[in-house]
Amino acid sequence: MKNNTNVIDLENIETIYEGERTPVIRDVSLKVKSTEFIAIIGPNGAGKTTLLETINGLLPYTSGQGFVFGKMISKHRSEIRKNIGYVLQNFEIDPLAPFLCKDIVMSGRSGKIGMFRFATKEDWEEVWYSMGLVGMIDFAQRSIGKLSGGEFQKILIARALAQEPEILLLDEPFSNLDFSSRKQIEILLNRINDKHKITTVMVSHDLSFVPSKCKRVIVMDKGKIIMDGKKDWILTSDTINKIFHNGKGL
Amino acid sequence: MIELPISLLITSILGAMFAGFVCSTMGVFVVRMNLSSIGFCMSHAAFAGAAFGLMTSIDPLISAIIFSFVTAMILGPISEKARLESNVVIGFLFSIMIALAFIFLNFIPGQAASGTALRILWGSIFSVGYNDLLILALLSFILILFIVLFYKELLAVMFHRKLAESSGINTKLFYFAVLFFTGFAVSLSLRLVGGLLVYALIINPTSSAYQFFYDFKKILIFSPLIGIISCLIGFWLSLITDFPIGASIVIISAIIFAIAIILSPKRRRGNGMQYKKTLKAV
Repeated sequence: MKNNTNVIDLENIETIYEGERTPVIRDVSLKVKSTEFIAIIGPNGAGKTTLLETINGLLPYTSGQGFVFGKMISKHRSEIRKNIGYVLQNFEIDPLAPFLCKDIVMSGRSGKIGMFRFATKEDWEEVWYSMGLVGMIDFAQRSIGKLSGGEFQKILIARALAQEPEILLLDEPFSNLDFSSRKQIEILLNRINDKHKITTVMVSHDLSFVPSKCKRVIVMDKGKIIMDGKKDWILTSDTINKIFHNGKGL
Repeated sequence: MIELPISLLITSILGAMFAGFVCSTMGVFVVRMNLSSIGFCMSHAAFAGAAFGLMTSIDPLISAIIFSFVTAMILGPISEKARLESNVVIGFLFSIMIALAFIFLNFIPGQAASGTALRILWGSIFSVGYNDLLILALLSFILILFIVLFYKELLAVMFHRKLAESSGINTKLFYFAVLFFTGFAVSLSLRLVGGLLVYALIINPTSSAYQFFYDFKKILIFSPLIGIISCLIGFWLSLITDFPIGASIVIISAIIFAIAIILSPKRRRGNGMQYKKTLKAV
């Protein structure tokens, strides 16, 4: 147990995938305070997703020390995850998949409710609230395979919110979305951070959609954090221009 | 038509119902987890087991059950440890089992014994005893309890394993539990349906239910129902025609599946559905 104000505290973290020798992320140190909204940007293959999955313990780190909520990630993985909402990068879903949106949102609370326990009225109220927050309450009885990309993304965000997380990890929340859906998700993320004060760490390879509430940007390249600072300073720096080919993204 | 004493008839009908229930209930998870070839693999494991039993003078049915059960048990750890797709491991185990079966058959003297081994593959209407019935009923009860108690975890794992893991669910536990219960369901249904055809009883009823519902709960109710109906009609067909029971059950479940495909509201035009829609098409 570590006593400090940082909800995420990584020190010289290195993560290597099983069966490989080269670390995907190395020498990563990161401190995130409660209620912060951070964007991690970098080209494809920079190690952004690996960093997110190291934070929630889906990937074990091979060296360094990692703490979330003051608890060592490697020892308290399952416990930590119950308070971290994770939105995966857009993935394909079978259009015939037999799942209703409300059940998918409720599945986010499964870990929190715990084994041998059934969802209570309060759990369902949290589900309706989360669905309402992302504007998807009318889709409760709809099949998940019938949704558009933007709608699906909102359901995944509602799923993470239903968990009542203290930290929200978002992996490329704008990928494969059209402009209007991107805008809607951006407004939604701003609102969540503003209203619910949830610490948010968002990963993106696209510079054009860093939400306005996000004040701190971290730049990753080749597995390392190469810049960490205020959004306005980072997004106008020469290094960013070099990495992103004149700021157009990769 | 075959004339059966009433007690044998009741035992056989109940046996068919329980076999239909356990196989098609596990089918819901097996199909969703893309482990469709597991039944095929285990049926050949059963064949190898029967051959082994005959070679070593053990009851071929017992050894068939042990082989198919052990196959289900080692499948999960191998695919987890070797980080291989389950279907790759299934293909690997399937080829080993069929090779072992041929080796064991080679050591069995006389053709009658080989015939006994082969009978394990197509099942028998008279083979379900009172003890089998009790074990099948117990498995059915445990399965219902398992699904009711862990419905929310199972739904999360069936939707997306990594997302479920990220919510704090021990997904490995549920993955292994599904393999464990499938191994049990296949092993216990071998006597009635036969190893070669038990595969169809896992896949067909679930695939039929998938044609009508988007709600996982409804699939979990209707898949076993279709499985039980297939077994009962198959049983009756076997009685009146003297067809092997396994074959009769499979024919009925295949007919139900074909009808489901034709009637499926999910496949109708104008339903806003495309069979291959991806999120990239936004």
